[in-house]
Amino acid sequence: MYELIGVWCIVLLTLSIFSYLYGDNPFYKVAEHIFVGVSAGYIFTITFWDTVWPNLFGRLFPKYVQAGFEFDIIYIFPLLLGVFMLFRLSKKYQWLSRISIAYIVGMAAGLKFYVFLNSNLLAQIQTSGVDLSGSYSSIINDSLILFGVISGLVYFFFSKEHVGTLGKISRIGIYFLMIKFGASFGFAVMGRISLLIGRFEELIEFSKPEYYYSTPVILIIMVITLAYWSFRANNENKENVV
Amino acid sequence: MNKVKKIFIKLGHVDRRYIFFAIALSVLIPLLKPSWINIPIKTTSNSETVFNELNNLNEGDRVLLSFEYGASTKPEIHPMSIAFLQHLFSRGVKVYTVPLWPEGLMMANYALDEVIDSKLFNVKEHIDYVSFPYKAGGSIVIRGIATDIRSIYSQDINNILLKEIPMMEGINKVTDFDFVIDLSAGMPGNAEWVQYACDEYNVPLTSGCTSIMVTDAIPYVESGQIRGILAGMPGAAEYEQMVFKLLNNTSSKKFMNENISIVPGKATSRMSAQSIAHLLMVIFIILGNISYYLIRRSNN
Repeated sequence: MYELIGVWCIVLLTLSIFSYLYGDNPFYKVAEHIFVGVSAGYIFTITFWDTVWPNLFGRLFPKYVQAGFEFDIIYIFPLLLGVFMLFRLSKKYQWLSRISIAYIVGMAAGLKFYVFLNSNLLAQIQTSGVDLSGSYSSIINDSLILFGVISGLVYFFFSKEHVGTLGKISRIGIYFLMIKFGASFGFAVMGRISLLIGRFEELIEFSKPEYYYSTPVILIIMVITLAYWSFRANNENKENVV
Repeated sequence: MNKVKKIFIKLGHVDRRYIFFAIALSVLIPLLKPSWINIPIKTTSNSETVFNELNNLNEGDRVLLSFEYGASTKPEIHPMSIAFLQHLFSRGVKVYTVPLWPEGLMMANYALDEVIDSKLFNVKEHIDYVSFPYKAGGSIVIRGIATDIRSIYSQDINNILLKEIPMMEGINKVTDFDFVIDLSAGMPGNAEWVQYACDEYNVPLTSGCTSIMVTDAIPYVESGQIRGILAGMPGAAEYEQMVFKLLNNTSSKKFMNENISIVPGKATSRMSAQSIAHLLMVIFIILGNISYYLIRRSNN
């Protein structure tokens, strides 16, 4: 019984979101609000019970919160920083939240700086080089990548006017960037189609008699309601014009 | 000639809802009638690299499987998760699942349940696989796994202490794993695994990700920081086929129940719909460009 209710909810919400393709309508609005509310609630609950409760309170009050951690007084600092963050809601003590934000920004920037330098900059520079000991095809491939990297970087070099040789190289850089954007667009389309296939597959599955034809039933009800709603909106518009 | 021009110009002004309808039909028809369209799937070098890397793992090797996707990207990534689990269990590899997205926990459970319920493999929790709970923090959790996993996790999802789980013996940091597999649909994802853990500690990493992430991840693949990549649904279908062949042809079925039939994964059956929809998109782009060109010329 619960599974059946779940299935009907899935179909109703999926078709409600798809109805936006026809135009903004109440079905879409309701589905959108439910999605935002449920997502926020789910993330808050799972974050509190799976992270804050065991990892923080489990260390500060191990007798009461038995999460397998031992007492560790140093965790009083994350607790304080977390409480400070909540002072954003108070006008008088709002300044306390800046301490927490400063810690987060400083720590994240420091960590990111090192890992980005190591994995993205140094490793990528190293592999952008041409391996002359490789086969002819790999040398051509590597040279093309190296030229693409240099010309792409030249395009973003704004300290000198892009004329003459610099202009030509930067122009080639644009072509390399266009190829990248084209590939990104192609992959984005592929991803969206994949998601559509996933939804359609479920809608087809839920059209079966064991689910009481949930997809066609909800689709027909929705189409009739949207047609009526559209007809009424048109009439109201005409009356307003008159 | 003018009539043809007019048709093209009219096509440029067609209501976008007709295009949505055409795309919907192009997806729906191959799904309803799969026998009508059968397009063969060819494996790419990136998918083959992923398969070969995992195929080189030995019995008892330990693999960390990171779940960073949710319901919205399930059609693309979930078939990969199932194929990865089938491949790893067929080789007697120990699997450790880590969800880094709030929905990742659900996805990990669904994937494990599906593989276990198929009864194809003789696997038991805490002996062949262990599931960690979700921890908020994204890249910070990855950093924690890299340096000291027990500072973040003390229990598995069933609230069993890690020190009581036999397969957790000797697992303290990322270097204790033989391989890391990342299943990602955004951030944290494969880039964070490269940056915060695998690159610095020299642990082999591979990834299955959404199509939209591929162009950003390819530089890591080219440099060897990620060993092969499964790119969206086509990547999943290719990998599924390789695993399907392996499970059917493998001579050693030590870890498998022989009486259970092996069925191909879901991504394979979805590829016809994907190909037809892409073909239609290409036609629309060409028609749109011709129409745009003609409209601009007639305006001039």
